Amino acid sequence: MPDVIIKMEELSKTFISKDRKGLRSKKREVQALKGVNLEIYDGEIFGLLGPNGAGKTTLIKCLTTLLIPTSGTAWVNGYNILTHENMVRASIGCMLMGERGLYWKLTGRENLDYFGALYHVPKPARRKRIEELSTLLSLGDYLERSVETYSSGQKMLLAFAKALINDAPVLFLDEPTVTMDVPTARKLRKIVRDLNEEGHTIFYTTHLMLEAEELCHRVAIIDRGGVIELGTPQELKSSLVTEEVITLEGVIQENVVQNLREIPGVKSATIKSESKGRTTLAVICDDSRQLLPRIIETMVGNGATVDFIKPHEVTLEDVFIARTGRSLGVDTRVVAQKEG
Amino acid sequence: MGLSVFSHRSSLGVILTVLKARFLIISRYRGSLFLESLLPLVFAAMPILIGVAVAGGDAAAGQNFLANVGTADYKLYMLLGASVFIVVSTMLWIVGFWIRREMEMGTLESIYLSPAKRIHVVSGIASYAFIRSSIAFVAALAVGSLVFGVNPFRGEVYAAVAFLLLGLVPLWGLAFLFGALILKIKEANSVINSLQWVVSFFMGVFFPIAAFPPILRYVALTFPPTWMNQGVRASLLNLSYFFEAWYIHTAVMFVFAAVVPLLGYSIFLSTEKRLKRKEGVGQY
Repeated sequence: MPDVIIKMEELSKTFISKDRKGLRSKKREVQALKGVNLEIYDGEIFGLLGPNGAGKTTLIKCLTTLLIPTSGTAWVNGYNILTHENMVRASIGCMLMGERGLYWKLTGRENLDYFGALYHVPKPARRKRIEELSTLLSLGDYLERSVETYSSGQKMLLAFAKALINDAPVLFLDEPTVTMDVPTARKLRKIVRDLNEEGHTIFYTTHLMLEAEELCHRVAIIDRGGVIELGTPQELKSSLVTEEVITLEGVIQENVVQNLREIPGVKSATIKSESKGRTTLAVICDDSRQLLPRIIETMVGNGATVDFIKPHEVTLEDVFIARTGRSLGVDTRVVAQKEG
Repeated sequence: MGLSVFSHRSSLGVILTVLKARFLIISRYRGSLFLESLLPLVFAAMPILIGVAVAGGDAAAGQNFLANVGTADYKLYMLLGASVFIVVSTMLWIVGFWIRREMEMGTLESIYLSPAKRIHVVSGIASYAFIRSSIAFVAALAVGSLVFGVNPFRGEVYAAVAFLLLGLVPLWGLAFLFGALILKIKEANSVINSLQWVVSFFMGVFFPIAAFPPILRYVALTFPPTWMNQGVRASLLNLSYFFEAWYIHTAVMFVFAAVVPLLGYSIFLSTEKRLKRKEGVGQY
């Protein structure tokens, strides 16, 4: 069994948020994390999946000492986040804010040198490290230019280089490929795998299921502040092995979805996306071959138009839908609130 | 632990790197240092010209001023007040806007993610503010002396420089306090705009604080820049110190220098901790 490098014990975080209506405001308690217990092993790529507002960023902010949890605690690289904040910070490299967090008036090299100094990396080691990163991420062409002249993808790569400047054993990457074009994102994922092979532990959040399946050794699905599933991507997908998934597209009203859920054998029916009057629906059921005629009959009988039907392999998103009844595209911030 | 090596040298490296980065950034906004040097001139010119207009001439203004303040050199008095004020104001502006801009750019969270101690980062910023405000002070005094035809080197110049330097130490503490306020209310403009006038009022930039009613005078005396201003003026214009003796004046300034930075830094740290318990330092 590998060593545990990040350990969370009953980690909880509650925010007070204000709902404003004109000049009036009403306080609400928002429970962003609810007693999270997780162990991340040394040398693994650990994926944290969940929709917007599920608590991913709050969890990362607690682990990286940006936030103090309301209760519970955690250890990173053996150091407690509440009592040894500086040692935790020296043990981690972070890319949390995408292309933000850089000085736009400074060049790429000046930015890396600045943050290297803040991480107490000695000057000769800093210079060497910047050259290494320049080669690794092919930054050479634009390292001497002001960041304000960079494209969005170049800023993301520089932010990634910033996270690597202290060559820390643990890396926290929060949606690192979100504004990258496809080739750059592919390149970054390859570098993440290479870094992991060199021995770095990587804590990776994403809402891109394929990215998580491709990269992560283990995955936790987080929803409404709690971990609802944990395992390897294969284990999670196998948990739905007795179930099948059908994707349907067309003009589908909400009442049709309700009626589908009432068909015996249908485990869940969830709208995955809606665009320009067209809806994509995921139906999870026991036996698609047997139930498909009944599903189509119910839809057409209730006024829906179906123009595309596709049974497909179980994905991590299907696991999420099966466990929560919602798609990952749904923002859960509102439903996570609790009246204060 | 990666490449981090903690030592006194690396801590000094943090201060110097922050200082260097500030100069690199300001060097990319050409003209701002020049414009900043003109500000105290404009600031001092207004009351000087009002004095001349109201008193009916330079000599009459000087005589009136001598009767009320103790020196006829009202131009140098105003210029010194304006120049010391610009030191105080620059210090507070730079620290306040630094926190606000770092919040907006997302770099404040990047700083908080690093193992650099806050005192080293803020010391880098305060050192930068100190250098910039000193440049503004010297430039304003030099150009102002030429424009208004006054001699700033006629009194105890070394004593004036000593009071100026001693007065900068509690200013660091005030900058921490100011930083804590910006962290808390997450807005710099309104705080700076309102404090600007309050600070210049209590410092007695254009008049002696003896002109205040007793309660306001005592309030003004709890404010370290008031002592810094009076120390510089008393040395150069041969005016009396607060409580007459120079050594009492110096002793009070030493007490401020010892207490205010500690107080300011501890309030900054506790504000920061409170924020981390709530929404975090990056929210604005």
